[in-house]
Amino acid sequence: MLKLVGVETYYGKVKALHGVSLEVKEGQLVTILGANGAGKTTILKSISGLVEPEQGTIHFEGKRIDRLDPEKIVSMGVGHVPEWRRIFPELTVKENLLMGGFLIEEKDLLHNRMKEAFHHFPILKKRKEQKAGTMSGGEQQMLAISRALMIKPKLLLLDEPSLGLSPLLVQDIFATIKELHKSGVTILLVEQNVNRALSIADYGYVLTTGKIFLSGTYEELLDEEKVREQYLGEGKYVRRSKLWSGS
Amino acid sequence: MEIFIGLIQESISGIALGSIYALIALGFTLIYKATEVVNFAQGELMMVGAYINFYFVTTFLAQSGEPTIGVFFLAFAGSIIFSFVFGWVLDWVINRPLKDEPIFSVIMATISLSIILRALVAIIAGPMSLIPYSPFGNRVLSLNGIIISALDLSIIFSAIVLVTIFYYFFNKTKWGIAMQATSEDPVAAQLMGIPVKRVYGLVWIFSALVATISGILLAPRMSLLDTSMGFLGLKAFPAAVLGGFGSIAGAIVGGIIMGVIETISMGTLSFHFKWIKEMNDIIVWIVLIAVLMVKPDGLFGEEKVKKV
Ligand SMILES: Nc1ncnc2c1ncn2[C@@H]1O[C@H](COP(=O)(O)OP(=O)(O)OP(=O)(O)O)[C@@H](O)[C@H]1O
Ligand SMILES: [Mg+2]
Repeated sequence: MLKLVGVETYYGKVKALHGVSLEVKEGQLVTILGANGAGKTTILKSISGLVEPEQGTIHFEGKRIDRLDPEKIVSMGVGHVPEWRRIFPELTVKENLLMGGFLIEEKDLLHNRMKEAFHHFPILKKRKEQKAGTMSGGEQQMLAISRALMIKPKLLLLDEPSLGLSPLLVQDIFATIKELHKSGVTILLVEQNVNRALSIADYGYVLTTGKIFLSGTYEELLDEEKVREQYLGEGKYVRRSKLWSGS
Repeated sequence: MEIFIGLIQESISGIALGSIYALIALGFTLIYKATEVVNFAQGELMMVGAYINFYFVTTFLAQSGEPTIGVFFLAFAGSIIFSFVFGWVLDWVINRPLKDEPIFSVIMATISLSIILRALVAIIAGPMSLIPYSPFGNRVLSLNGIIISALDLSIIFSAIVLVTIFYYFFNKTKWGIAMQATSEDPVAAQLMGIPVKRVYGLVWIFSALVATISGILLAPRMSLLDTSMGFLGLKAFPAAVLGGFGSIAGAIVGGIIMGVIETISMGTLSFHFKWIKEMNDIIVWIVLIAVLMVKPDGLFGEEKVKKV
């Protein structure tokens, strides 16, 4: 469904992605793991067209999308919940959802989707006339996800949905993601919460400084001592990988 | 009693002048909110609008021979169409080419634009001042001894209609809310499928539109029309700061307050205190500095926490 081949993305002269290749198959939940600054967000931004890769190709459902405007990519069915949620704080909850459905022309359909969102997250219904910025972090994350779901995306990109949330809310969010996946949405999930992410994912990629370092299923990755060392250890491998990449 | 009637008359006239300041302030608040660019050419957009309208009025007048309402209406319609095209062109020549440059460059570009527009108009229309037409002539309304000019009333009325339309558009329509969303977070807006570039274009068109309308309203209030009309646009800055820079409601309220202060200080106050007369031109700027010192966020401004 989604395929990246040799993607290189720059911010000005700084190279953030050094040839990333990965694949998400229809119905899968794939996770990208990696330390701060590894380039996880940049991968998602490259997919949804917020930044344009210099090299490599990105295909979605067989069509090349790496030169398209973000609005075109959204309209093809790619939803993106950005890092730190980025809801519109001065707009009401309802208006935020309305914006999520900006591309929906039929009024009835829009209305139904809004109802579905309220059905999924009753708290949003209670807060619908409230300015979104006044909600709690967890509620804002629910809103950010519902907003992206308004267009019923075929592929949902989630960028660290658990960021800044209390452990209890993190649990809720992961339950929600799992449910979404079960209902048939294909998901590409970026996380720092390694164990949780791997426990719900079909497949995982580990990213270090802009390169795919490892990939595999839950079991395969958990077996890899390297993954642990990347996150929990003394950074032995981090240093070595840095040596390899010549920096 | 006489002073009282005088003050009421001046207040109404001040509200009319203030409505125009409010519209100019509204114009650059729109651009500022969406793109963080302070458009220093807003006054010149207004001046161009006034000239275009003058051109249409004289053209249609030459054809019909009489200054009928129809003439003014057609001229108004023509000017509105022009402003759409004008705003669209500005988006392509100023906004889009500079979209990746720092905000500062765009602001400098608007200053250049203001000077270029003044020069262009002077070249095309000639250096002579024009005597603007008013659809109402010198007609006045008298109410319990209070005399109000018909022109002022029509200005206030037009401003109310325009602000109501804008309010409805921004808060109740999909594209209006999309404009708000874009100005809050353009990146997130793109992820919603909002065509951000087109929204910015729309913002420039709107701002040319309100500028043109304020020019059409303001011109007949001045005895002479020349390219220096653009400088009046600068007075909308203290108005916007008073209201709270970046707030649409603030732009409107600030504009009206400034208009009233200016008119009263030029009228009753100057009559009783001669020294105020000498200060007329700087009164709004004194208010500006006072506001910046006492309440820098203005009446409606909120302390904005910048996103990281
Ligand atoms: N807008 C930008 N301008 C310049 N450099 C950037 C920009 N955004 C990211 N970078 C750089 O690109 C690299 C990858 O950043 P990215 O945000 O993709 O990392 P990440 O894996 O998402 O990190 P985090 O876990 O902290 O969110 C980093 O070195 C970062 O400094
Ligand atoms: Mg990130």
